[in-house]
Amino acid sequence: MPTRQSDLLQGTLDLLILKALALQELHGMGISRRIAQMTNGTFDVKAGSLFPALHRMEQAGWLTSSWGESETNRRAKFYALTKPGKKQLHTESERWERISLAMATALRTT
Amino acid sequence: MGTDIARNGNCLAYYIGGIVIRQLRALWRNVFRRKQLDRELDEELRAYVELASAEKVRAGMAPEEAFRDACRNAGGMDQLKQGVRDVRIGVSLERLLQDLRYALRALAKTPAFTAVAVVTLALGIGANTTVFSVVDAVMLRPLPYSNPQRLVEAESSNNRTPGSVAVSYPDFFDWRAQNRTFEHLVSYHDTSFSLTGVARSVHLDGQVVSWDLLPTLGIDPELGRGFRPEEENRGSRVVLISHALWTSQFGLDKSIVGRNISLSGEVYTIVGVMPSSFRFPVDQPQNAFWTTLALDDDPSDLHPAVTNRSGHFLAVFGRLKPGVSVAQADQDLNTIAARLAKQYPDTNTKHNSVIVETELASLLGDTRTLLMVVLGAVGLVLLIACGNIANLLLARMRDRQREIAMRFALGAGRIRVVRQLVTESLVLGMAGGLAGCGLAFAGMPAALRLIGDSVPRAADAGVDLPVLGFAFCVSTLSGLIFGMIPAVIASKTDLVSTLKEAGRSDIAGHDWLRSAVIIGQVALGIVLTAGAGLLITSFLKLMHTDEGFNSDHLLTFLFETPDSRYKDARPQFYREYFEKLRALPGVQAAAGSMILPMTDNSARISFENPEHPVPEGLEPSAELNPVSPGYFHTMQVPLLDGRDFTEADDMKSPQVMVISQAFAQKYFPGEEPVGKKLKPGAGNGTPGGPPWREIVGVVGDIRHSATQREMSPAMYLPASQLPTWCCLYSVVRTSVEPHSLEPAVRQLVSSMDRDVPVTEIHTMPELLTLQLAQPRFAMALLGAFAGLALILTVVGLYGVMTYSVSRRTREIGVRLALGAQRSTVLRMVLRDAAVLVGAGMVLGVAATLASASVLKTMLYGTASRDPLVLVAVCIVVALTGLLAAYLPALRAAAINPMQALRTD
Repeated sequence: MPTRQSDLLQGTLDLLILKALALQELHGMGISRRIAQMTNGTFDVKAGSLFPALHRMEQAGWLTSSWGESETNRRAKFYALTKPGKKQLHTESERWERISLAMATALRTT
Repeated sequence: MGTDIARNGNCLAYYIGGIVIRQLRALWRNVFRRKQLDRELDEELRAYVELASAEKVRAGMAPEEAFRDACRNAGGMDQLKQGVRDVRIGVSLERLLQDLRYALRALAKTPAFTAVAVVTLALGIGANTTVFSVVDAVMLRPLPYSNPQRLVEAESSNNRTPGSVAVSYPDFFDWRAQNRTFEHLVSYHDTSFSLTGVARSVHLDGQVVSWDLLPTLGIDPELGRGFRPEEENRGSRVVLISHALWTSQFGLDKSIVGRNISLSGEVYTIVGVMPSSFRFPVDQPQNAFWTTLALDDDPSDLHPAVTNRSGHFLAVFGRLKPGVSVAQADQDLNTIAARLAKQYPDTNTKHNSVIVETELASLLGDTRTLLMVVLGAVGLVLLIACGNIANLLLARMRDRQREIAMRFALGAGRIRVVRQLVTESLVLGMAGGLAGCGLAFAGMPAALRLIGDSVPRAADAGVDLPVLGFAFCVSTLSGLIFGMIPAVIASKTDLVSTLKEAGRSDIAGHDWLRSAVIIGQVALGIVLTAGAGLLITSFLKLMHTDEGFNSDHLLTFLFETPDSRYKDARPQFYREYFEKLRALPGVQAAAGSMILPMTDNSARISFENPEHPVPEGLEPSAELNPVSPGYFHTMQVPLLDGRDFTEADDMKSPQVMVISQAFAQKYFPGEEPVGKKLKPGAGNGTPGGPPWREIVGVVGDIRHSATQREMSPAMYLPASQLPTWCCLYSVVRTSVEPHSLEPAVRQLVSSMDRDVPVTEIHTMPELLTLQLAQPRFAMALLGAFAGLALILTVVGLYGVMTYSVSRRTREIGVRLALGAQRSTVLRMVLRDAAVLVGAGMVLGVAATLASASVLKTMLYGTASRDPLVLVAVCIVVALTGLLAAYLPALRAAAINPMQALRTD
C-alpha cells in the first residue's frame, strides 16, 4: 500500500534520496522511480515534496546537479552525491539503523 | 600529533569555510540570478512531467490525457514551482526586496498621494521627534553623577499642611547624624561673591555645601582635591572653582591649587578645580564656586545660621545606601523629624515631617506634567496625521481592489499580498520619518529658544542616537497604524465579485470606517484645541494681571555689600548711595528691596501676634521683605493707610513695619491695623532676639511671582533696622530708556566701592518675560500643535467629502435629473459633513471634560473646564469643518446631470 507523502517521517525523504543516488546520478523522475523500486512501492514520492527537497539538499551541498540527456533523449537535470552528501548518507543510515533497531526492540517488548 | 591536530583544525576550518562560501554563493544566485534559476527550474519540472507522461503513454494512455494526468499528479505546475522557490536560501530577503520594489513602484505611480502622505507624516514625526529630544534630555537622561538613581532630595514639611519648605542647619545636622539610610547627606544653598584682586572685580554665583558634596555625587575634581570634614569648622575658608572660572580668571594655571583669592573681602584658599562638565545643582550651570558651610558659622553673629533652628533656607540631598529604597529613607527621616518636633516644640512643631523624593523628580517638579502634556499633544497630532493617511489609503484601495483580486487569482497567497501592502505603508512611514528627522534637526534651535531656561537641562537636547531611534520606532508604528487599513481590506477582498464588477464596486462597509476615522480626528482636534485654548486664555490672563506695581521704565540690579566691610555701616552706606542714585539724570525715583518681585527669590518668616496667641511653634508666617524708604513710591504701590518708612526709622528709633492689604485682611479683619504691634522672627543683631514692631502703614498687594495664583500676605521691614541683612536690589524708576542708565549706575557704584561689581541688570518687563517663559512655551507649543491638528483634520474632512462626492456623482446626477434642486444637493453634502463633525465634537468635548484635570497645574486664573473656551473651540472647529465641506458641496451641486449619467 503506497504511503501518503505526509506520513513520511521527517528526514526519511532526505535519506531515501541520498540512498537512491548512492549508485548513480539520476534525474527527478529517476529518483522517484528508484525510491519506489527500493521500497517495493511503499513510498511514492510526489513532485511536490521531491523537488523542494532536491533543491534544499543541493543548497546544503549534499547534491550537485548537471544537465544531461534522459533515456528519451530529453534535456534533464541530473543529481549526484557530493562528498559531504556521501558522508551525510553514511551518518544518516547509521542513525536510522540505531533508531529502527531501538523501535523494533521497543515494540517487541511486552 | 601536534601537526595532526593542526591539520584537523585546518580541515575543519576549510570545511566550515566551504559551507559558508557555498551558502553565500547560493544566496547570491537565489537573489540576483533569479531569472536564470527560474528558467532552469521551469525546464527541470517540464522534463519531469514529460517523462512521467511518456511513462503513462507507454502504459497505454492517450498522450494528451497522460500529460494532464502527470501535471495533476505533480500538484499543479505553479504551486510546484512556488514550493521549490520557498526552500531557497534568502527567500525572505528576496521577497523583502521584491516587496520594496513593488512598494516603490506603486508609490511612484501616484506622486501626488505620496507627496501629501510624506509631508503630512514629516510634520507629525518631526514635531514628535523634536519634543521627544527635549523629553529625553530633561527626563530620561540620568543626572550627570555616578549612580544617580541613588540620589534623593529631602525637604522639611508638616504632616497637616501640604507643601514643603527648606531645612534649617540644626535640623540638617540632626538628620545627618541620626539617619541610618544614607551614605551621605549634603546641605546646599545659593550664595554669591565678588571676586576682587583681579583686573576687574566680577560677581560670581556659587553654593555653600557640606564637606562631602563630591563623594556624594561621585565626582572627582579635575585638579586638586575635594573638601575635608574639618573644613566645615568655624573659620575655615576653602573653595572649589569651576573649570569656566579657572579658564576665564586664572588662565588654566595648574599652580592655582593652594592659592589664596579674595571673595567679597575674605581670603579663601582654592583646594580644587572641577571638570568642565561638572554642574551642581544641575539647573545652575552658571555656578563658579563651591565653599563649605563654615561660611554660615559667623563668630561675630549672635545667632549664626548653623545654630538657628528657625532659619529654613537649606536644600538637602543625599546618597542612599545600596539597597535602600526612597520609601525607607522617607520613613527614616520622618522618624527623626517627629523626634525633633517633640524635642524642640517651639521651632519644630511646624516641621514635624520630611518629604523624600528622587533627585530627578525633585528637579523636574511640575515641569514633568508640562512635558508629558506636550508629548501627549504632539502624539495626538501624529495620530490625526495617521488618520489622514489612512483615509487616503482607503480611497486608494478602491482603485487597487482589482489589482489585488487579480494577484489572488494568479496564485499569490493572502499573507503575501497583505505583507506587500504593509511594506508599502512602512516605506511611506520611513520616508515620512526621514523627512521628519530633517525637520526636527532644522527646528531644534527654534524650539530650544522658545523653551529658554524655563526647563532644566532642556538646553542639552539635540537630535542624537536615542532620538533617531525614537523617530524610527514612531515611523514604523505610524506605518503599521495606517497600514492596517488597506491590509485588512485586502485580506477580505472577495475575488470573484470584485473581478466580476470590473472594479466599479465600492468596498462595502468602508464608508463607516472612513467616517470613524474622521470622527476620531475631529474629537482629537477638539481635545488639542481646547487644551491650547485653555493655555492661551491662562497666558493672556497672566499677561494682563495687575502686578500691584508699575513695571514700566523700571531698572533693577544688585551689588553686594559684604559683611567684611559693611557689617556695621550698611544703613549709612545705602542712605548715601540711594541719595546719589536719585540725583542721577534720568532717574525719577530709586529705592532698595531685598526681595525683588518677578524673581524666584522669596523669604517667609513667622510672627507673633499678642492679640491672637497660639501655642508655641504654631505661629503663622508671611512673606518678608526688608526695603529702603521710598520703595513703595518707586514701585508705585499705593499706600492705603498710615505712612511709608523714612530715613528717621533707624536702629535708635522705635522698630516699625508695614503690612500688605492681604495681610491686613487676613490677620486684622475689620480692624485698624496701624498702631498694632507684632513680632516678626527677624533678628536685627541686637541681644534679646527679634524686637516687637509697630505697624505704621498698609500698602497695596504686590504679585511676587508672575505665576503666583493669589496675593499672599506680606510684611515689609525697614532695611535700616536690619543692618546685618544683605543685600538690597536697587529699583530705579527712569524717565529715559532704562538700560541707558547702566553705565552711570556702574560708575556710581564703583565710585563708592571699586570692589563691588554690579550684576543682574534687568528691566522689570525683562524679568516678567523670563518668569513667563514656561507658560509661554507651553502655550506656544500646544497652540502650534492644535493649529496643525486643525489643519490636518480640515484637510482630512475635505478629502473624505471630495471623495464621497466623486463616488456619488452618478447618484447626484440622477437626483438632479429627477428634479432635485441644486441647493438641496448642497445641503445634503453639508449635512453629511455636519453629522461627522458633530459626532466628533460630542466625543471630543466628552474627552476634554474627562481629561481636563491634567492641565490644572499649568493654568492660572482659568478653570480647567472653562465653558467659554470649550464653546469657542467648538465654534472654531465647526466653522473650519463646514468650510472644508463647502467646496466639495459646491462641486456636487454643480454636477451636470447629463454628463454624470453618461460617464460611469
